[in-house]
Amino acid sequence: MKNSTVEDKTALNVEGLVKKYGKEKALKGVSFKIEGGDFLGLLGPNGAGKTTTIKILTGLTKLTEGGVYYYGRDFSSHPGEAKRVIGMVPQQSNLDRDLTAFQNLYLHTILHGIPKPLRKEKIDEALEFAGLREYRDRQVKTFSGGMRRRLVIVRALLHEPRILFLDEPTVGLDPQIRRTLWEFILKVNQVKGTAILLTTHYIEEAEKLCGRVLIINRGRIIAEGPPDDLKKDIGGYVLEIFLEDRIEEEFFSSREDALERLKEYDHSCKVREVTLEDVFLKLTGRRINV
Amino acid sequence: MFNGFKGVLYRELSVFRTRAKKQILASSLSPLLYLIAFGWSFGKGVSVDGLPYITFLIPGLITMSSLNQSYGIAQELNITRFYFHVFDEFLIAPISHTEIVLGEAAYGMFKGLLSTILIFVYALLFGVKLIFNPIFFLAILLHTFLFAALGITIAMIVRDHGTQAMVNTFVITPMIFLSGTFFPVDKLPYIFKVLVYALPLTYSTKVIRASLTGGEINPVFVSLIVMFAALFFYTALWAVRRVEA
Repeated sequence: MKNSTVEDKTALNVEGLVKKYGKEKALKGVSFKIEGGDFLGLLGPNGAGKTTTIKILTGLTKLTEGGVYYYGRDFSSHPGEAKRVIGMVPQQSNLDRDLTAFQNLYLHTILHGIPKPLRKEKIDEALEFAGLREYRDRQVKTFSGGMRRRLVIVRALLHEPRILFLDEPTVGLDPQIRRTLWEFILKVNQVKGTAILLTTHYIEEAEKLCGRVLIINRGRIIAEGPPDDLKKDIGGYVLEIFLEDRIEEEFFSSREDALERLKEYDHSCKVREVTLEDVFLKLTGRRINV
Repeated sequence: MFNGFKGVLYRELSVFRTRAKKQILASSLSPLLYLIAFGWSFGKGVSVDGLPYITFLIPGLITMSSLNQSYGIAQELNITRFYFHVFDEFLIAPISHTEIVLGEAAYGMFKGLLSTILIFVYALLFGVKLIFNPIFFLAILLHTFLFAALGITIAMIVRDHGTQAMVNTFVITPMIFLSGTFFPVDKLPYIFKVLVYALPLTYSTKVIRASLTGGEINPVFVSLIVMFAALFFYTALWAVRRVEA
């Protein structure tokens, strides 16, 4: 494997990831970078390649072609070093339900080589951060979905990773709990300064949290940038024309232009601001099923 | 150092502790039934290979019961891997695959040794006299290690719980019944004899029985057990690596 030419400060450099399952190509050349402190969203429909990407970046799956470099070091030849700077929150809360919150976190401190005298202190800090201090010695099976998610996140942060991977962190949670979890994730990014790569198929989530978004579809990244820029790129305003059999959409850079065009139609119409979903639709022709 | 080994073992023992009573109770019943049915009732006055049948049976129950327990971690690993996904927590940590295998194997050995102690208690209660040869300790450690490693291998290869159950039915159960745990393998028809001499349990049962009943220990059998242990350690390592493909 060649060494990356990028400067060491690029936290993560992903070059041309290809993943084949048999003859099927799940990823067809995915490249992107994460700088320290970034909040990057990987947005795409189910089956687009989001989880495969995260699994490769955390070493749960091997890549077929391409390269992954953490701070300039090749992941495949230095997996131990890389695993110390990354944290992973998988889609399913993979906690031991029969063990207590403390025991779950304690296991992580052993596996990640946190020195024994520091373990208890770090665990108590983590539980405090997650708002779970009173639940320290309770079995995880008594926890609600939101509590489990917070626990998995602080567990992934125990060894102070510089990059955190969150795979669909709010799937299956109530709207209110989702909101508190968003705040919690933002706090991790802002207070701890941890760079975050979050995958989601909830457009709202990416729009709310991510400084930069990668839109992935059928194993390829088809757009990249801050959500506002992506929206501006297709126009900023959309005119929806309600035809008998379908809704047609036209994009405009200002509300005035959209209203001007509206006058030309007899059908009922609606002018609204562009959302990230419009961007996605325009680029892929597929609606994200939520 | 050895963070992976310690971590894996910590996890398995912590989980075990939450259900230790139930597990020990459940695993203590079937050997007791065998003892009562075959050793006590049917085996009264019967002698096999110059031993009272119950004395012949006790070492067989030790290998059977400890195999069940050591190999039984496969079932737990399956749940850990497919249902709770806890296994990913091991794979994501900066630890080696060797440590994962050794940690799981140590847990399997622990369970196997626990059931061995239980059979000794039964032996005491039933008044069975055993003659200890120090080779016993080596043999039981190798025996539990090799079947724990086999359990890890199978648990990592199978794709679901169903396949796991099938392996148990078609490989493990026949092996337990045919490998000399309940009767001497020399009494088997030729075809089966060939088969059982390819199975590791045949050798560990022979060595363990000899080491507890004052028999002669065949060094060839001991080396074969060592070879099986090395083989299954290697396959376990290979199987854990394969999970990341």
